Amino acid sequence: MFPMLALPLALPGVNDAFFNASYVLQLLTNGLSNGAVYALMALSVVIIYRTTGHMNFAQGEMGTIGCLLVFSVSVSHGVPYWISIPAAIAISMIVGALLQRTLVQPVERRGGMGVILVTLGLFLIFNSIDSVIWGTDPLQPVRPFPSRPDDHLVVMHGPPQFAIRYSAVGVWITLGVVVLLLHLLLQRTRLGLGYRAVAANADSALLVGIPKDRMLMLGWALAAGLGTLAAVLFSQTTGSLDFNLMASVILYGLAAAALGGFDSIPGAVVGGVVVGLVEALVPAFFSFIGSELSLVMALLVIVVVLLVRPQGMFGKARVVRV
Amino acid sequence: MTLLEVERLQASYGQVRALHGIDLSVEPGEVVVLMGANGAGKTTTLRALCQMPGLTVSGSVRFDGRSLSGVRTEHLAGLGMAHVPQGRGTFPELTVEENLQAGAYVRRDRAGIRSDMERWYDTFPRLSDRRAQVAGTLSGGEQQMLAVARACLSRPQLLLLDEPSLGLAPLVIHQLFEIFAELNRTDGTALLVVEQNASLALSIATRAYVIESGEIVLSGPASDLQADDGVRRAYLGF
Repeated sequence: MFPMLALPLALPGVNDAFFNASYVLQLLTNGLSNGAVYALMALSVVIIYRTTGHMNFAQGEMGTIGCLLVFSVSVSHGVPYWISIPAAIAISMIVGALLQRTLVQPVERRGGMGVILVTLGLFLIFNSIDSVIWGTDPLQPVRPFPSRPDDHLVVMHGPPQFAIRYSAVGVWITLGVVVLLLHLLLQRTRLGLGYRAVAANADSALLVGIPKDRMLMLGWALAAGLGTLAAVLFSQTTGSLDFNLMASVILYGLAAAALGGFDSIPGAVVGGVVVGLVEALVPAFFSFIGSELSLVMALLVIVVVLLVRPQGMFGKARVVRV
Repeated sequence: MTLLEVERLQASYGQVRALHGIDLSVEPGEVVVLMGANGAGKTTTLRALCQMPGLTVSGSVRFDGRSLSGVRTEHLAGLGMAHVPQGRGTFPELTVEENLQAGAYVRRDRAGIRSDMERWYDTFPRLSDRRAQVAGTLSGGEQQMLAVARACLSRPQLLLLDEPSLGLAPLVIHQLFEIFAELNRTDGTALLVVEQNASLALSIATRAYVIESGEIVLSGPASDLQADDGVRRAYLGF
């Protein structure tokens, strides 16, 4: 007669299942896995933005090609992943550096919005290349980590069961290792010092003898490598692969970078994880938000954060000393 | 042999020509001052010598016996020319220590770099206290000290100083100019100084040039220019 009395916890518009611990934990782990991929994407956006002040919109598509290369070599021809993935990352890095040198640098010298058009053009070109070579049908996903249905660690016996997949742990560890290596490269090496000097003041970097052009190429190379790694991991976590693999991921990555602050590397990582969690948890919490709206929810959170902190969570507000 | 030999140096920002043919020279170990009103082309001259981005440069620049035409900005530090740009140009997100390491980017002798860094920390103890602090949080005077120390870490033969006194307290300015004179005396580093505070600059200089509307209008030994009535009225203020 009075359903409200029968379910005192139920709030209008709230999904009752959300109050089940193992359900929430399962959502959390899913969110963390996607968030790790978004974090890698955001890192690749930030690494280019810090030195050049522009974004590479083709980053996702470049990653997709890298992932499709891994597919062709490993899924189709059985070459071990520990060979194909590092090779694909290395090839991506070389291609990224060459693109910067031959296409982006000449356009950049003329100033203006040219580089944005170039990266948008690259987006379309790479997307077409993907579909021409690999077709538009779904392909078998790339799975470097154990991926049979029972390759997981059961934490809470159900129902509903809560289990952590080995592949999720693999994705998290990969993100951790990448962040650590990136930190060591940027903070502890001469090359990293040069990159950071160019990001801080490009003219002064030239005056002390740092080859700025080569640092910009380094940025594109690192970003391209991260993009390919992100695509491989995304194929693994979602169990899917087609020519449009990264179309939405680049949006989440850009959103994560905006959230963390476009010039902040820790910000990119935290931003990515937050976007992943929001995407997983918010639509599940409110019964009236379908999963189709998860991207909208993620973007809404970002809009709110940026209203309060326009420089992002970790970005530097520019202070000018006169 | 003349260290820096500049002939008919012209420079334009886009369609706007800022320098109309500058001739100047710096001998090894010399201190040369470039004086002139705001907008005369002093900063542009230094930027043109370094082929900074945004400038179209023509004319002949010879440094240490070699022509600098076609030499890229990032190679000058390695050739022995260092530039402290106007507004200091420190790396605000990098620590004091990292700024100095960046200054030694063209060198590979770790021990030498280390001892040079300690030398500059001794010269500027305030930098030594702030080694781990990011440069963006330093005061204007500290940033100028950092910019000078950073430029000197490449062990230049010629140091270009662009308005080193700008916006600094008188006490700091005097300290800096004493250090410039000292650097010139002990290391034999040649200095080419652009300076608003002309009387101060002339006090450490051997020769001076006066630049007006992108052209050299007067040059000579520093003492002669100090005594010149026109120069005194226009630039020295007495």
